[in-house]
Amino acid sequence: MSRHTRLRFLLEKEIKDLFRDRKAILTTILLPLISLPTIGIFTIFLTSQQPVNIALIDEDNSYYVNPELNVAMSSDWVVGNLTLAFTSRGYNVAKFLSRSEALENSSIDLIIVIPAGFARNATAIDSVGQVEILRRANVQPALNAEGIARGILNAISVNLSHVKIARLYEKTGLEPNLLKPEAFRNPVVSGPTVLLSPEGEKVGVEAELRSFIARLLVLAFAFVVTPASTYVIDGIIGERQRKTLELLLASPASLGEILTAKIIVATILGLLASLADITALLAYVGSLNLAFGGRSLIILDPGLLILHSVTSFFTILVTIAIATPFITRTRGIRSAGNLASLITSVAIIFFFLGFFIDFPKLEANVLSLLQIIPYTQSVLSVQNYIYGRPDLSIINLLVLAVLSTIILLIAVKTVDKEKILLTQD
Amino acid sequence: MTKPLLEVRSIRKTYGGKILAVDNLSFHVMEGEIYGLIGPNGAGKTTSLRIIAGLIKPDAGEVLMQGVNVHENLKNNRKIIGYLPEEANTYPLLTGMEHLKIYGGLYGASEEDLEFGAKITGLGSRLFEKTSGYSHGMKRRLLLGAVLMTKPRLAILDEPTSGLDVHASVSVRKTIRDYVKTTGAAAIVSSHNMLEIEYLCDRIGLIFKGRIVEEGRPRELIEKYSVSNLEEVFTLLVKGAES
Repeated sequence: MSRHTRLRFLLEKEIKDLFRDRKAILTTILLPLISLPTIGIFTIFLTSQQPVNIALIDEDNSYYVNPELNVAMSSDWVVGNLTLAFTSRGYNVAKFLSRSEALENSSIDLIIVIPAGFARNATAIDSVGQVEILRRANVQPALNAEGIARGILNAISVNLSHVKIARLYEKTGLEPNLLKPEAFRNPVVSGPTVLLSPEGEKVGVEAELRSFIARLLVLAFAFVVTPASTYVIDGIIGERQRKTLELLLASPASLGEILTAKIIVATILGLLASLADITALLAYVGSLNLAFGGRSLIILDPGLLILHSVTSFFTILVTIAIATPFITRTRGIRSAGNLASLITSVAIIFFFLGFFIDFPKLEANVLSLLQIIPYTQSVLSVQNYIYGRPDLSIINLLVLAVLSTIILLIAVKTVDKEKILLTQD
Repeated sequence: MTKPLLEVRSIRKTYGGKILAVDNLSFHVMEGEIYGLIGPNGAGKTTSLRIIAGLIKPDAGEVLMQGVNVHENLKNNRKIIGYLPEEANTYPLLTGMEHLKIYGGLYGASEEDLEFGAKITGLGSRLFEKTSGYSHGMKRRLLLGAVLMTKPRLAILDEPTSGLDVHASVSVRKTIRDYVKTTGAAAIVSSHNMLEIEYLCDRIGLIFKGRIVEEGRPRELIEKYSVSNLEEVFTLLVKGAES
């Protein structure tokens, strides 16, 4: 009876025991697949269901033509443009006679006031026409409406300034065709940003999106470690509590073989959960992105996804390997869960850091220090790939694989069968 | 004179260096013999059985199986020692037959062994159902079949009829007797049920505070203490040991 044959039977037991537990599979794999896209759909739906009430107050109510420049402006025209922009986007717009009337109405989220003298000031050569915007704090859709109002007012301002510049230019008697109003409006401008790859080649905005997805994938490691450690806790402490462990320990299977089977199945479960989480996360971000007028996320790199899956596998393995010796020494599921949470918290901190910080850009001495923690390799593996260094990415992956195997071997060798059996729940 | 199959020599075990569970315990079991280990709660029965099964190492003393130290040769001894713990349970989502196949697989059981195990369980077609629907008695019979199917030379059975009704207990007792009779193997049975021990065991050892305080054939002990049954022997001995 070889070690492999025993391991095969132990794996058969673990796989059947786990995959027949439909509730466990449902909560671990299907739930994230359903819940995150559902959040996305509900966010889109409910956002469209939030009415935003806007009050427009025209205190100026005038049409004015500047006699020097022969430039005209009407406050009513500005109100008309704003009304059209808002109503076409589904906002509720009402015209109020006074701002006090609008302020007293608690259902109003955004107040736009065109003060007296606006048309005169806007067309003058020594003043500006100012529009007042009052927004109720902490109302997100009102913030979006404010953005629209500012966009419309900016367009009006650009057009008006072009006319004013043209009229002034006419008075100089210079060659009419030479005028470029932008030379007066924005004499100093910064050009559009040119995005470069790590190799210095020009790339499109997709590269930035790809980098964002990579950050999301680093963050997704956080989802990977929890279900796997939960399964190991259940596999060891739960089996002791359910009184199935002793019979297994008395069999010719060694403790190492028993733990190895549990760890392999926990890793498979963790990997499945991570795939479900990543799919759901991308669907969620993608749906939100599309809903708010962004681009499609269908620019996923298959190489990156494969790398992420393999890295996930070893990330889970290293987490379980670290957690196992502690789990086996605890008294019950609760304390084992607390200990595992402590370990997974360290992992999660690293993955959150990886979302915000580019590890390959860290100072060498800081990075060397961080590399004591195996999760640094998980983050580096994905980030180096994005930085166009797949060679370094593979090295990080190999280091992680070696580390997880060494820690796993130490874990299995140091676990005491007697302690597992005799610890009182 | 034939050599004993199992020799327990002066084993001692403390937990956390303070609680003395087994204290200088010695006894032996011959081939084809059923040895009963009886004693009050906390006397050290389960610890002793776990030490013999190789699950726990003694602090001192040794356990010899066919003359070989169990703890120094665990791999080989695991194949010839079967152990049924007192509170063993089944995996609810696995069928009875899957239990036999998996446990059998760990021992290298043949198809013939599986059939033997299935026969011991007496569960018939219900072996193909998940054990979540089994009664306590059915689970106990299934695990007994799993332990005995590979025909261990020594079967260690901790409270094999614990929690079973009369009918199931009779069935389990008969299975143990038949097993020893047909295979020539030996068994150690611990129990609180004195009638069971009297019926089942060839010899018994009364364990108290981790020591064997009396040993012999049930009938001999009843005569020695001039009482009518083993229960009275037990009561007398425990009272005596306590005083």
